[in-house]
Amino acid sequence: MPPPQASVLLDPIVRHNPIAVQILGVCSSLAVTTQVSTALVMGLALTVTLCLSNVSISLIRRHLPRSIRLIVEITIIASLVIVIDQALQAYAYDMSKRLSVFVGLIVTNCIVLGRAEAFASRSAPWPSLLDGLGNGIGYGLVLAIVAVVREVLGNGTLLGATVLRRAADGGWYVPVDFLHKPASGFFLLALLVWGLRTRRKDPPEDPAS
Amino acid sequence: MSGPLKTLFDAVFVENLALSFFLGMCTLLAISRRVSTAIGMGVAVVVVQTITVPVDYLLHRYLLSAGALGWAGLPDVDLSYLSLVSFIGVIAAIVQVLEMALDRFAPPLHASLGIFLPLVTVNCAILGGSLFMVERKGDFVDSVAYGLGGGLGWALAIAAVAGVRERLRYGDAPRGLRGLGIAFIVLGLTAIGFLAIAGLRVG
Amino acid sequence: MPDAPRDTSPRRASWLERLRRLPEESTAKTLLVAFSVAVVCATLVSTAAVALRPRQRENRDRERRARLVEIVSRIPGIEEIFARTGARDVETDMVELATGRIVPSMDASGFDARKAAQDPEAGVAIPSALDVADLGRRAKHAPVYLVKDRGQVKLVVLPVEGSGYGGPIRGFVALSGDGNTIVSLALFEHQETAGIGARVEDPAWRARWQGKRVRDEQGRLRVGVATERLRPEDAAYQVDGISGATITSGAVNDLLRYWLGDDGFGPFLRTLR
Repeated sequence: MPPPQASVLLDPIVRHNPIAVQILGVCSSLAVTTQVSTALVMGLALTVTLCLSNVSISLIRRHLPRSIRLIVEITIIASLVIVIDQALQAYAYDMSKRLSVFVGLIVTNCIVLGRAEAFASRSAPWPSLLDGLGNGIGYGLVLAIVAVVREVLGNGTLLGATVLRRAADGGWYVPVDFLHKPASGFFLLALLVWGLRTRRKDPPEDPAS
Repeated sequence: MSGPLKTLFDAVFVENLALSFFLGMCTLLAISRRVSTAIGMGVAVVVVQTITVPVDYLLHRYLLSAGALGWAGLPDVDLSYLSLVSFIGVIAAIVQVLEMALDRFAPPLHASLGIFLPLVTVNCAILGGSLFMVERKGDFVDSVAYGLGGGLGWALAIAAVAGVRERLRYGDAPRGLRGLGIAFIVLGLTAIGFLAIAGLRVG
Repeated sequence: MPDAPRDTSPRRASWLERLRRLPEESTAKTLLVAFSVAVVCATLVSTAAVALRPRQRENRDRERRARLVEIVSRIPGIEEIFARTGARDVETDMVELATGRIVPSMDASGFDARKAAQDPEAGVAIPSALDVADLGRRAKHAPVYLVKDRGQVKLVVLPVEGSGYGGPIRGFVALSGDGNTIVSLALFEHQETAGIGARVEDPAWRARWQGKRVRDEQGRLRVGVATERLRPEDAAYQVDGISGATITSGAVNDLLRYWLGDDGFGPFLRTLR
């Protein structure tokens, strides 16, 4: 009995969150989350790529020879990423410079290829689209949460607007400089994972690791 | 220390692909449970990266970058927007060839390393290394050094993390943190350690 | 999530149908799929790249102009120079230092002089006899900023760098349209000692540079900073050093003489006269 469409969309947002649970797409979540704006754009770029790639691969899934399946999927994903990158450079130049090479790295973002292999290559287009949307939102959510912490506590701003006046600007808040370093993303992700897994009450991994 | 040696040193320590740029995390997190498998993955990455970075460099230099096709009489053509898909194509092809070569000429090696090779294709560190090389504007020897260094640095990172995680199995981490959570914290601490080396200039 | 079973109802088999029904693993199908995917992707990507290229170029130009305005506006007194010369148009050009010629095909935006200097092809080692500013290497090209009024060059802004007491010194020297008279010297990147060498940023000291000439009528390089007593015959070309900051003063002297000399922008400045 196929799961209802709603769960295809909602599942990956929290319960099977790509970053925190499936352990996919971690690389970019560290480098682009110093500011909420870059994190949101990155999340959007990934969601668009994911939806388009899931749908395309789903459409041709019955005609993909096994021997070239992986490379065809990668080619489609890479082409989509290039188009999105070009569009960003044309319509959001400053943003594209901040995201720089990480937009290109969406190609190897495990989420996109992972969902293509695990879901889109064996499901119809509409559920594939929902799955892409769900995973993209889940990814974006994690990125946004980490970015909010890093921007508010590391910079005193949120989306550019001052929230905690910095001492350097005559206020009281001394920013936590460590949050500017990508390494801080690791600790924030650890806290997020901790919270998520404790709530779920079921250890999805071998506890002895 | 100058030239290629410096590039090598920098790529391993100062600009470590895993710990300074956080590339290849998924694979790193997935494979770092045991030191033996981690080293296997590390070796695969070193081999693939040392081959693909110079090849991609040549591809970019003589075919794709602006004006690169001058030798063919087409100096105004700029195909750099195809870099991404070309690089990944080259990487996938090289990995495939490597796997077949190993299977044919070194079956025992293929048995131990072979399973890692497909994973290497989608390791962001491999693609990232090639992409960073384009921005570096070095020469061919520099690209070999950078590829080797990048791979070694990543291998170093995964081996180090695996070493710690193996010991942590006997630790007493809180239930919610076991596995992934603790791995993140270990990575974070290692990354902080590498922060100390960032900006180091030798020679 | 499993697929629904395939539709096996009989149908008139067109060639398209026969294509679609080829077994997946057959060579023909593999080649066909590979080829089609390649063609579709290539078309998509190339169309996007070509169609969006003009907009991207516009963006890059706009950014370059913004950065240039920012650079030029950092030169103290630039506003009144703009007012006086009536000029508002700042043009960036890349100059090949050895010949002094402008290279129109080079893009100044994103040019990193430091990186280029180290690059084996874009940079060149400075022979020690000529390396008065102790730079070691320099890029073969450099950006120059020309402030023009109705096509006439009113102001030439050149990036300069040298080695100071605490580290590298970087900044700009602005010359009037003849390429020989100093309008302003702005050295804002340095690690010189506060209150001593850092006084290169003092308005009082900087004001002394106004009107100093680079070369004399015979074309000899005369500009500099006098670390001992300033001789009357040098007064038109040099300023007094900063007392107590001999090394910094010497560094400024060296960097000016290098970059305004024949191994720096000398050839370019000659084209302006």
